Amino acid sequence: MSTGTSEPSVIAVTGLKTFVGQQLLERLVVREPSMRVIGIDQRRPFRLDGRVRFHRVDLSEPTADGRLAEILRRERVDVVVHTAFRREPTPDLEMDHEVETIGSLHIMSACAAAKVRRLVVVSSTMLYGPRPDNPNFLSEDHPLHGHPDAHCVQNRVEMESLLSRWAVRHPDTEVTVLRACWMLGPNHWDRVIRYFSLPVVPMVLGYDPLIQFVHEDDVLHAFETAALTSMPGVYNLVGRGVLPLSTAVRLAGKRILQLPATALYRMAYYPAQSQTGDPPAGFYDYLRYLWVADGARGWDAFGEPVYTSKEAWISFISARRMRRYR
Amino acid sequence: MDPTSKGPLCGDPELGDSEFGDLVEVREALEGLRREIRSRFLSESREAAPWQDVDWQALFGKLRRRMNTFGMSERSGEVDEFGLDEVVLKRALPMLDLLYDRYWRVELSGIEHLPPRGPCLLVANRSGILPYDGMMFAHGLQRRLPELGRARFLIADWLITLPFVQPYLARLGGVRACRENADRLLRHGRSVIAFPEGVKGAAKVFRDRYRLKRFGRGGVVRTALENRVPLVPVGIVGAEEAHPILFKIHGPARSLGLPFLPVTPTFPLFGLFGALPLPSKWVIHIGEPLSLEHLEPDAVDDELLISRLTEELRSRIQSLLDVGLSDRESVWG
Repeated sequence: MSTGTSEPSVIAVTGLKTFVGQQLLERLVVREPSMRVIGIDQRRPFRLDGRVRFHRVDLSEPTADGRLAEILRRERVDVVVHTAFRREPTPDLEMDHEVETIGSLHIMSACAAAKVRRLVVVSSTMLYGPRPDNPNFLSEDHPLHGHPDAHCVQNRVEMESLLSRWAVRHPDTEVTVLRACWMLGPNHWDRVIRYFSLPVVPMVLGYDPLIQFVHEDDVLHAFETAALTSMPGVYNLVGRGVLPLSTAVRLAGKRILQLPATALYRMAYYPAQSQTGDPPAGFYDYLRYLWVADGARGWDAFGEPVYTSKEAWISFISARRMRRYR
Repeated sequence: MDPTSKGPLCGDPELGDSEFGDLVEVREALEGLRREIRSRFLSESREAAPWQDVDWQALFGKLRRRMNTFGMSERSGEVDEFGLDEVVLKRALPMLDLLYDRYWRVELSGIEHLPPRGPCLLVANRSGILPYDGMMFAHGLQRRLPELGRARFLIADWLITLPFVQPYLARLGGVRACRENADRLLRHGRSVIAFPEGVKGAAKVFRDRYRLKRFGRGGVVRTALENRVPLVPVGIVGAEEAHPILFKIHGPARSLGLPFLPVTPTFPLFGLFGALPLPSKWVIHIGEPLSLEHLEPDAVDDELLISRLTEELRSRIQSLLDVGLSDRESVWG
C-alpha cells in the first residue's frame, strides 16, 4: 500500500521466466538489499534467489485478479512491474489472448484494488506495426496499428489500449509503458534472434528497410530506473542510429536469401501453423516496411543508451560467435 | 609480266632463273615452317584450352559472393537516420553529373533568392514517374550552394515502397513525403524539397503539362510556419517533357503496386528501354521566398489563412512556370 515516501520499499515482478522479469529481479535483489522483492508467476522458476518472496498466480484463471489483489495488499506492494508476456508466438490463439490481454487486465484490476503506487509495463515498438505509410520515426503518440496477421502483437495492442483507458480512470497510479524495439545482447533469446541465427537469412525481395536495435543492458537499466523512480508516461527504448537490414545480416557474416514477398509469406505460413513456434507470416512485414521508433523521449528520461543500434548488433553477433570471415 | 618488276619486295631484278629455283626452295621451307607452327599452335591450343585453366572453385566462390550481396555490394552500410548512404551517393555522382550537365543540361536561375544558410522548404512542380526532378534539383543545389547542406527530396508513398526502387531511393537521399519526416529534417537543419502535387503531379498527362494541380491540404505551408523556415517556390521547366504521358492504364498497374501504368510515346512500345526519360532541356527557376515572418505561430490553426497562402504559393509557382515557358525557344534547348 502507498506509504507516501518517494522510495518504494516493495516491488512485485510478474513473469519471472521472461528475460526482462528474470534479469530485473536479479538486479533488484543484488542492488537494493533494503527492498523487498516479490516474484509472481505461474510456476516457481528453477533458479530463484532466496531473498525473493514467490507467489504462484495463473493469470489465465478467471479469479486471478482477486488472488493478485490479495497478495499485493498483504505484501504492501508499492510498485508492480508487469513483464508476463510471451516471447515466442504460440499457435494457441485463445490462450495467448487470455494471458496477454485478459491477464494484463487482471493485473490492472488488482493494482487498482490494492492501490499500488506505480505500474510499469513491458511493451514493444512492434506494436506500431510495419506499414508503408509510417513516417521514418514513430513517436510515442503515434497510433498503435499492430499487424493483422500477428495475433501476439494484436493482443498487446489491445492490452495497451485497455491500459491507457485504465490509467485515465486511476490517476493515483503512475503508469509507465516502456516500448523496446528488438532487444539484442549476449543473454537474450527470442524469435527475432532465432530468425537472425538462421544460416541463410530470408529477406523480402526488393526491400531493404532500415531497422534499429537496443541492447539488453540499456533496456534493463530503463526498467530499473522506471521501477525505482517516478516517470509516468510512454517511452520508446531504442538505440541511437539505424542500419539497413542487409547490412546487419552481412555484418553477421550470413548469407541473404531474397525471396518474393508472396513466396516468403507462404513459406512462413506452414511452420507457424505446425506449432514449431516460428514467427507468423506477418513477421516478414517487419522486414519489409519501416517501423523505426523515435527514442528521444526515452533518451531524455533514462539517459543516453550505452550501445547504439549497430553496437548492440555487434555485441550480439560477437557473443554468439556468428561472424565467419570469408 | 616479269615478276621481278613488281617491286622491291621481290628482290633484286638482276637475279637469274637459278635464283628463282632457290626461291621455290625457300617457299617450300617456309611452307614447312608454317605447317609446323600451325600444328604446334594447334596442339598447344588443344593442350591448354581456355576453360582448362579456370579455377572453378574460385569462380564459384566469387559468383556465390556476388549473389549473396546482389544489389547491395555498392553500399557502405553506414547510413544516416533517413537512410542516405554517402558511399552510394559518391558512386552515383558521375552518373548524376552526366544527367545534370549533358543529358538535361540543367540550369539553375534565381539562386540568389535562397537564404545563404539554414534550412528552407522548397516547393516545386512534380513531373515524371521516377523522381528525377527532385534528384536533379537536390544535386544542383548541392553543387551550387554547398553551404546550404544537402537538400532532401520527398517522395510519394507508393514510390518509396516500390520493390527494388525503395532501397536505392532512400540511399540516394529520398524521404517518404509526410509531415513528420519534413518536420524532423527541418528541425535538424536540412533543407527539404517538397512536391505538394503528389501523385496527381506525377500522373499528369502531356496535354496538362505545366498546369499545377491542387496542393494537398496545405501541409507545406503548415510545416514552414511551424518550423519558421522560408517557403521558396520553384518552377522546374523541362522536366514535364521528359516523360510525356499520353494516357494512363489502371488495370494491370494494381498487380505491380503502381497507382497507374503510364503510356508514353516510347514506354510500353520499346519495353524498359522506352522507360528512359527524354533529353529535354531543363531550367529550374527559384522564386522569391514567401514571407511568413510576420505571421504568428498560432496562424497554423487558421484554416482560411493556410489555404490562402497555399493558393498564393501555387500561383507563384505557376507564374514562374509561365515565364520560364515563354522564355524558352525549344523543348530540347
